[in-house]
Amino acid sequence: MDINLLYKLFLSIFFISSINAQEGNAEADFSGVWNNFPPEGTRSFQNSQLIGELPPMTPWARALYDQAKPTFGAMGVPVLETNDPVYQCFRPGTPRIYMHPFPMEIIHTPGRVLMIFEYDHVVRQIFTDGRDHRTDLGPMWMGDSIGYWDDGVLVVETVNFNDRTWIDREGVPHSDELKVVERMYLDDEENLVIDIEITDPVAFTESWSGRRRYRKVDWVIEEFSCMDNFTFKAWEEELAEYD
Amino acid sequence: MILKTFLSILVTIFFIGISFAHHGGASFNNEANIAVRGKVTRFDFINPHVLIYIEVIDDNGDAVEWSGEITSPNRLARRELAAGAVRWSKDVLQPGDEIILGGNPARNGSPFLRLRLVIDSQGNYLNGNEDYFKSLELISG
Repeated sequence: MDINLLYKLFLSIFFISSINAQEGNAEADFSGVWNNFPPEGTRSFQNSQLIGELPPMTPWARALYDQAKPTFGAMGVPVLETNDPVYQCFRPGTPRIYMHPFPMEIIHTPGRVLMIFEYDHVVRQIFTDGRDHRTDLGPMWMGDSIGYWDDGVLVVETVNFNDRTWIDREGVPHSDELKVVERMYLDDEENLVIDIEITDPVAFTESWSGRRRYRKVDWVIEEFSCMDNFTFKAWEEELAEYD
Repeated sequence: MILKTFLSILVTIFFIGISFAHHGGASFNNEANIAVRGKVTRFDFINPHVLIYIEVIDDNGDAVEWSGEITSPNRLARRELAAGAVRWSKDVLQPGDEIILGGNPARNGSPFLRLRLVIDSQGNYLNGNEDYFKSLELISG
């Protein structure tokens, strides 16, 4: 075979496959440290809620919501009176982890995207190697995440949650049938958007969605141990018991 | 009078905004703002909230320990600073430094503050600004 023809054939295959990669499963690069950057008009609630209003709860969820004693929002109580599971240092869950006001680092590695949160050093592994959800483990705090690339968008589906976390920091509950679908994409090199769809037929009458925005920062992830909360709790106890 | 009412509404809205963005806020009176001056006895630059303790000499000449909490050290150390401003670090306050703390007092009258203002011994505003300081009642020291 003519060497020139062979070269042309190689080029054609390379060209076609590169088009496929761009239009099909082209990956974007989210590498770096990102900090939540709420747009104007959402700043007041983005620290404690996914959306600025109550989601469409079922009576089951509403009853749990009414029992919640969060430290944020209209029902906010002092730290000593809260029943927020995070104050016992349980994992915040997904998507609540995005509401803790600390940065996260995203690391790409073959077959996985890692999200390393400064808050209590929570790590999310998003498997992008085509595997299915786990069927061998019990329910989890952060759920189990698989994802795929769709034209520069990382689509992540997370299931296998326990029912012990809250959706937000104001006490909105969920069941173990929670499914979270996220679409993560770059607005530009400095801005990352995460669209979050919540589906849970036990807790919500319909699916609902929120959005988080992140801006790239030149920080490193610092230490943050949840157990340090007990130092603060001791200070609040001193305050409450002051004579 | 109208201006005064308008300003007080503005201030109230400002503090409601803050209280919703902060946990544990219910122990403090968001509508009251006070300041105290004293010598640093302890400075914990630790998560989740930084704690500052000072010894304040009250009107009777007695020493009272006041303490205040402010956000996490990670967040304070990352602040973007104006030229000449002092960056927070574990060494930014030393025992014996005479400083001013201001903020929302505890609802139960105990000497605890949710900090909005920290002025170091050199007069640097580590948190808060001069306008806010001027609006405060310096209750002792």
